[in-house]
Amino acid sequence: MTTLAPARVALRSGPGYWWDSYRGMLRWQLTSMRLWLPVTAMVQAISGAGFVLAMGLFFGTVPPRAALFVSTGVLVLTLVIVGLILGPQLVAAQRMEHTYDFLWSLPVPRTTAAAAWLTVNFIIGLPALAVALGVALLRYDLPLHVSPAIVPAVLLTLYTGTMIGYAMAHAIAKPMITVIITQATIFLAFGFSAINFPLDQLPGWLAEVNEWLPLYPMANTVRAALTQGVAEEVARSYLVLAAWSVASTALAAGVLGRRG
Amino acid sequence: MPAAEQDWPLRVRDLVKAFKEVRANDGISLTVEPGEVYGLLGPNGAGKSTLVKQIIGLLKPDGGGIALGPHDLVADPDAARQLCSYLPQAQMPIESFRAAEAIEITGRIRGGRPPEVARRRRELIEALDIGEWERTMGAKLSGGVRRLVGFAMVTVCPGRLVILDEPTNDVDPLRRRLLWEQVRRLGDYGAAVLLVTHNVLEAEKAVDRLAIIDRGRLLAEGTPSALKAEDRGRLRLQVMLAPRAETPELPPFVQGHTRVGHNLMTVIAEAEAAHAIGWAQELIGLRLAEEYALGATTLEDIYIRMTGDVGAAGRETPT
Repeated sequence: MTTLAPARVALRSGPGYWWDSYRGMLRWQLTSMRLWLPVTAMVQAISGAGFVLAMGLFFGTVPPRAALFVSTGVLVLTLVIVGLILGPQLVAAQRMEHTYDFLWSLPVPRTTAAAAWLTVNFIIGLPALAVALGVALLRYDLPLHVSPAIVPAVLLTLYTGTMIGYAMAHAIAKPMITVIITQATIFLAFGFSAINFPLDQLPGWLAEVNEWLPLYPMANTVRAALTQGVAEEVARSYLVLAAWSVASTALAAGVLGRRG
Repeated sequence: MPAAEQDWPLRVRDLVKAFKEVRANDGISLTVEPGEVYGLLGPNGAGKSTLVKQIIGLLKPDGGGIALGPHDLVADPDAARQLCSYLPQAQMPIESFRAAEAIEITGRIRGGRPPEVARRRRELIEALDIGEWERTMGAKLSGGVRRLVGFAMVTVCPGRLVILDEPTNDVDPLRRRLLWEQVRRLGDYGAAVLLVTHNVLEAEKAVDRLAIIDRGRLLAEGTPSALKAEDRGRLRLQVMLAPRAETPELPPFVQGHTRVGHNLMTVIAEAEAAHAIGWAQELIGLRLAEEYALGATTLEDIYIRMTGDVGAAGRETPT
């Protein structure tokens, strides 16, 4: 009858511990999202495709340059919306339901929980990106020029979007504030970020602000990797985006190690 | 490895934690020996959760120390998470997990090897009598079964210290007994068990020792019988007042009283038993009360006397 394992005295550490913990946390997150992960991935793909198609319905004949901007901008939204909006709202819900403490009491390196969440974002984001891009190609016959830079551009965009959301979610202790900030982010992302339109359409000061915030550089780098002669000052966008990725990683690391 | 090297006590020394002006923990010291089930009793806001969160590394103390065996848990919160298993008062977030799966995944996360986790999972499911729900999704489980699954998740691969916050909430009386058997087994295996509860009556039966804390301070500590010994020579007279009746004027021999709803509980000296019965019968005669019961004082009386808290005390089965 007694199968209770003997005491585990030695503390676990090292790469094997990290890898096992990562697999455990990924399994935990995928299982806890099992009921709505497929739906979320599908909604992401459909909404990306829908956005691309809706523009054609509205304007009838879409100028090629506009089609290029919207189609490549939508890709960025499909990549970051889960990490930037849904992630923080999930954490806010954990805090409201008082399950946050249990999850943080699990005996795993905390970076493994972040890595598992990043993986979930890739699982949702990449198929949505492929669907939106496919639909755009079929509908507008886009003159795409895909360069190898698509890999770093997509990785950096997805990583940075997820980590900004992750750091924000864990840095803000009050769930209601998280919800308000994420709602405001949606509003700002869709309304005032130069994702789906050229930067010079914005008033000068807002264009300047956009250059320093992460969403425009995300769109600019992804667009540069898919088109020719459309994106400008790409190197600067990479730099700004890299700075945001480093800053959000540092903030997340600080927050994860913090004790109240 | 010799058993003695594996058996680690939890030592909390002069622990202080303040939130702005409020000292949630104000110099708490206690020791939980391996193999011991130690109850932590106190009303809401007494500082129990703050203490637990410091032990498992979610909060950093302002002063004092916490050690488990050779490990300083304040300096090394990663070790704290590996060495402690924690069942929170809130339900586990397992809506989309099947019961057996939730237990198994947590066991793996806790570092158990697959065959060992599978064996222990089967054993717990059988011991807690929850086999009929092992493939049911968490969202469809009743509160009590979900609580038992949570207990199994925490103890499938237990740490050297197991912290259980109100483990029997919502659990039916029969399975409650099964759960307490499993809590005891944790002690037998050498883990120290810290049981956080409001439910004094249940704690009295389940713990080896207990501490009563209130306003961040430890008010009393000892075995249930040692604490009750302080009340030797006293009796509890419980009077069920008539609906809408005011609390009657208390005779001088009543040493203390509390009222919860219509239930008036008084403490009297043994020598005054006859007078007390006469008084209670007189209240019934005047239709101010409906019935009374005279019995030995319980841990609950001591708890209420110390904390002055009547709302939080467990009172499901007044005896």
